[in-house]
Amino acid sequence: MSSILRVLKFATQDFFRNFWLSFVTLTILVLALFSINLLIIFNVIAKDAILVIEDKININVYFKPEISEDQVQAVKKYLQSLIQVKDIVYISKEQALEDFKERHKDNPKILASLDELDKNPLGASLLVTAKTTNDYPKILEYLSDPQYDSLIESKNFDDHKLVIERISSITQKVNTGVATIAIIFTLISLLIIFNAIRMAIYTHKDDIMAMKLLGATNWFVQAPFLLEGVFFGLLSVIVTIMIIYPLIGFIQPYIGSLLETDFNLINYFNQNFVAIFGLELLGAILINLVSSYWAVSKYVRV
Amino acid sequence: MIHLKKISKIFYPKTVALKDVNLHIRPKEFVSIVGQSGAGKSTIIKILTAEEKATHGNIIVGGWDITDIKQREIPVLRRQIGVVYQDFKLLPKKTVFENVAFAMQVCGIPSKRIKNVVPQVLKIVGLKEKLDRYPHQISGGEIQRAAIARALVHRPKILLADEPTGNLDSLNTKDIIDLLLKINEFGTTVVLVTHNKDIVNRLKKRVVLLDSGQVVSDEEEGKYIL
Repeated sequence: MSSILRVLKFATQDFFRNFWLSFVTLTILVLALFSINLLIIFNVIAKDAILVIEDKININVYFKPEISEDQVQAVKKYLQSLIQVKDIVYISKEQALEDFKERHKDNPKILASLDELDKNPLGASLLVTAKTTNDYPKILEYLSDPQYDSLIESKNFDDHKLVIERISSITQKVNTGVATIAIIFTLISLLIIFNAIRMAIYTHKDDIMAMKLLGATNWFVQAPFLLEGVFFGLLSVIVTIMIIYPLIGFIQPYIGSLLETDFNLINYFNQNFVAIFGLELLGAILINLVSSYWAVSKYVRV
Repeated sequence: MIHLKKISKIFYPKTVALKDVNLHIRPKEFVSIVGQSGAGKSTIIKILTAEEKATHGNIIVGGWDITDIKQREIPVLRRQIGVVYQDFKLLPKKTVFENVAFAMQVCGIPSKRIKNVVPQVLKIVGLKEKLDRYPHQISGGEIQRAAIARALVHRPKILLADEPTGNLDSLNTKDIIDLLLKINEFGTTVVLVTHNKDIVNRLKKRVVLLDSGQVVSDEEEGKYIL
């Protein structure tokens, strides 16, 4: 028991008596963790941005004016049965005319020419939203079936095809990019932490040798350094949390106005607090323990 | 107390540091091991503290054959020997008190006893007033006295002093040698490794002269003659 207390005392003493070395080591750890958190922020914002854009994508299916409401409803029912379809909004002929008039209320010529016509020249339409952007081509393929195609005046296929393809491509690229950057960042962070701890222990090389020559066991020499590694891990995560929360509080209003979304980054971090910071704590402690053990082991062979 | 039987030490690939060294040091003896640089003096100390293993021969310390000492037994051996080095090897971020206490802490001695014993030992070496100082806050002679206190605090039967005055001026050198003599008078076997002729000749104690890794003379009241 007294041995454990001594180890604890030595670890604390070493941490404070080598204040600047501890400060620099801690700063490097915090910077590495901060980079990882920045990446997480970028990742969630990028994903939300894509979701926002994806939500704005849909297909307008315009039916011929002579097509009855029952026929349109039949097409709607068919589309609803498709697993790719998330939502369908039916716009009747009358509603289409109202909307058209509302859109062109400042243009008397168009309104006058409408009055010249006996019948409503507009057909009903369906506004189809797919579950994912990848589902649109499939929906369009179903609609090109002659059974339905003959009823349809036009689909805004061409307008959206390019956007849909681009969004799909951007989504994939962002996901791959973020994953690659995350791996590279994590590797760099691991190397930086590993070297920071090794450098900190290198400065204690002579002390470690002196301790060994006095008859200290490997455990007695190593334990304070390992414990200090745990301190560093714990402190670095606490400091990172203290930096990250004000930062996301600062950027939150900009996300709202930029993406026109109610996505809340603070809520995201609150909801995933244990997963994000728990894993970072575990990772930081683990890498500190491994690098401390490895570095000290080199010098205890006296 | 210490028995070296036909000890040889060859460093890779074929540097002979010690060759067939026979040395028997009795309890409570004060022995000076002298010789020029590279004669093998420090190698003997390193073999006695298991920092190095002998290539051939047998080593017995306090009745314990440490020739093939196991790694886990080395700390036990070192706790029974006090060692003083030329470069002091004090821990720079620990106070004089803590440095001396550390030698007892590694032995698992209770804190209460440490608090009692350390000031007493520091009083013997004349550092009672400076126990709260860090090594950089005291002089070279005081650092070496602190190192001697650390080597003695756990009451070893053997004190090995490897060039303890190598970094000191003549006044501090005299103090340190007087301290070693006092420790020897209390019953501790002292092995002094030095190449300082004046010290050895003044001591009038047993002198073992090494040359090129071999014992060339061993006299009870010897002198260091080149």
